[in-house]
Amino acid sequence: MSSAVIFPAQPEQILKGLGKLWTSLGQEEKHQGRPTVLRACAMTLIAATDEEDSGFSASQTISELMREHPSRGIVLAVSQQAERGVEARILAQCWKPFGKAQQICCEQIEITSRPENWPNIGPILIGLTAADLPVVLWCRHKAALSPSATADQKAGLLAVMNLATKIIIDTKGEDATQAIELLAKWRAERRLVADLEWTRLTRWRQPIAQIFDNPSTDSSFSKFGSIEVSYTDEKPCPSVFYIAGWLSAPYGAKVAFKKVEGYGPGLHGITLRSPSETIEFERTSCDCMSLRSTKGRERKYNFNDSTLYTLMNEELSVLGPDPAFNAAFARAEELLDGR
Amino acid sequence: MSAAVQPLPEINPLQDYLRFDRHVPPCAVVIFGASGDLSKRKLLPSLYRLFYERRISPNFAVVGSSRTPMSDEQFREKMKESVAKFLEDAPFDEDVWRSFAQSLYYVAGDLNNPASYDDIHQKLEEIEKTHETAGNVLFYLSTQPSHYAEAIQELGEHDLTHGNGWRRVIIEKPFGHDLASARKLNEEIHKVFDESEIYRIDHYLGKETVQNILAFRFGNGIFEPLWNRRYIDHVQITAAESIGVEGRGGYYQEAGALRDMIQNHLSQVMATVAMEPPTVFDAANVRDERAKLLRAVRVMKHDEVPEYAVAGQYGPAKVGGQDLLGFRQEPSVDPEAQTDTYAAVTFFIDNWRWADIPFYIRTGKRMPKRVTDIAIQFGAPPLGLFKQETKTGLREARPNVLVLRIQPEEGISLRFLSKSPGSGMRLRPVSMDFNYGSSFGERSPTAYETLLMDAMAGDATLYTRQDMVDASWQIVQPILDVWGSTKFDFPNYPSGTWGPKASDEMLARQGHVWRVP
Repeated sequence: MSSAVIFPAQPEQILKGLGKLWTSLGQEEKHQGRPTVLRACAMTLIAATDEEDSGFSASQTISELMREHPSRGIVLAVSQQAERGVEARILAQCWKPFGKAQQICCEQIEITSRPENWPNIGPILIGLTAADLPVVLWCRHKAALSPSATADQKAGLLAVMNLATKIIIDTKGEDATQAIELLAKWRAERRLVADLEWTRLTRWRQPIAQIFDNPSTDSSFSKFGSIEVSYTDEKPCPSVFYIAGWLSAPYGAKVAFKKVEGYGPGLHGITLRSPSETIEFERTSCDCMSLRSTKGRERKYNFNDSTLYTLMNEELSVLGPDPAFNAAFARAEELLDGR
Repeated sequence: MSAAVQPLPEINPLQDYLRFDRHVPPCAVVIFGASGDLSKRKLLPSLYRLFYERRISPNFAVVGSSRTPMSDEQFREKMKESVAKFLEDAPFDEDVWRSFAQSLYYVAGDLNNPASYDDIHQKLEEIEKTHETAGNVLFYLSTQPSHYAEAIQELGEHDLTHGNGWRRVIIEKPFGHDLASARKLNEEIHKVFDESEIYRIDHYLGKETVQNILAFRFGNGIFEPLWNRRYIDHVQITAAESIGVEGRGGYYQEAGALRDMIQNHLSQVMATVAMEPPTVFDAANVRDERAKLLRAVRVMKHDEVPEYAVAGQYGPAKVGGQDLLGFRQEPSVDPEAQTDTYAAVTFFIDNWRWADIPFYIRTGKRMPKRVTDIAIQFGAPPLGLFKQETKTGLREARPNVLVLRIQPEEGISLRFLSKSPGSGMRLRPVSMDFNYGSSFGERSPTAYETLLMDAMAGDATLYTRQDMVDASWQIVQPILDVWGSTKFDFPNYPSGTWGPKASDEMLARQGHVWRVP
């Protein structure tokens, strides 16, 4: 169920529209004589998109995420087609849990602005965040990572970032040095920043960690003092530094980076060496990783597709500090500096 | 002389508890009583669901065992029907089932027959090779309780309690039928298994909302300061069922409501509500606190039982145009049965936090609806400022109730007074609600899923320990003694009501009334 375009896109107008939306959903309850709709909200989730994205995929992903993370979803799109500068539309995302009669509904607000209005988006959002709940910014706007972003783009983004308790970006395909420096700057400003490139590594990290869950004495992780990380791109991407940082952080193991031909893009393989054993993880196809060790261990792992939905679903489950990422990131910065 | 110091095992520095799925090691699960109701309704659907969600290791197998002769294939077919029928809040997936079924095996045999254990031994050796289960075995005794001691003894005699990996045993309640038999059973089990290998299951503790009591109390800063005799007037724990004994008349006649619910489930729930905060959230500390609380419950003297405990039994009634049988008319039930199908008890906890605060627990069959909840009744405000101005003209004496709903709609609500719109200071109770289903869209695991995962992972936090069982028997034993020698004038409540009048009188003596859940 969605509304007509709301203009002017002022917080009071939008909130009034939301009120009407819930009233109309409630009418159904009156007819049926029992509660049929339940409103759910555990956070405000803002997706900031740009002209290329035009909000479509973000809107779709937020709809999918509503089941696990009921939220007030706000999709910010930039488009020349916003006839009146900034305009809004509201809708309810509803689903019926398996075997239940009652629908659970979340609200979604779509705000579209012309590029020249983008710097003024912040004040609208201040009035729209759900009270006392976390505000997560999923930043898909190119201005976030692009050094060539205009001052207007940066100003608009900064206003939105200042509202957020957590910022999620995606450095996939970005230059590692630039991306890590930018994240370091935000972190130094005490912003809680997550990177979906780190989230993508969970499927690598989990099987690697499991090997050291119940190790025999001579194969405990502390014995593996040498790590090699291989990649397929011309230059190592952020995820290569992240995984190296994660593996090296606990005991300061030495790390070597190596460019190879193989499945990619990005991270291709990891070799861990101890005096008595070498363990290799290698991506052998787009959906498979293999483990081989000199002690005869061998296993294949399926890589499930990392869709935006699965990545965001994982990331929204970690709303507070992420100690593993913090440690890996700190070490990744050192590795980038050649330390 | 100095003892050799063993180095502590390294804690995996790569573990990421925020993001990684909980890891359950490879293992085989042997279910005794595999063709029984519990296996069909709960155990196999839970294991299937865990498999579906990839929460259990791929190196996993189930060996079902019971007297009914069946092949592996027949067992798989039978379990498929059950899983499809009893899977809760989730669809059945044919492809996933095919994959899951490859890990199901069956060994026909009698618990009294030693040869059956040899067959299981052999099957486990095969499975250890074919499924690479690393020699880890979890035994699940889903049999008649009278067979527990014998089955465990046979497991020991057939060397099934040792192998290449760990061995654990899950035992279903009841753990004994009174204090003496519970202690005897524990002795028998300990001859074969160490306490750390014994998992006494109380499925109430596996329910999300019961676990949430700990999160609610100890994860928030605002409730715990109020959680004591100074602010809480009394606590009511209700576990009501709308159904009768449903074909279990024979069993229930021997058990009764006090044994079936209060000795185990509800006393554990009470312990969770009233226990002190553990210093660390781990199995040993949480269970220490639960046990400590149960030991602090005042044990009644025999002559106090009539004042603090009420037994009831449902009689016939016509409800919603349907004729309902009384307990004594149910199949397999003695027409003169003295069984309690309803029990209400007032407990007092003799510690600094709870001294003189009554904890009322009631449970019964054939009540008006199925509901389990815990109501924390807070005390009255010191001054009744608005007593003349309420709509009814009566002052709401104790307006604040915190209700922790366990089933059917899990959640938490807090009732407080609010001014009604309009002129004048008219107050009306309103409710602030948290509903599990809407706040967390994802499906909650069932209690058996949680508890099976925990046992496979070696986490005993939600399982009951010997001293907890002992303490909970101690507090109900005087009631059992007195009721056992009393001839009740049953039935004393019609089906479809909230229990006998004596139960209301028990609360009235303390100046309280049962709430209507």
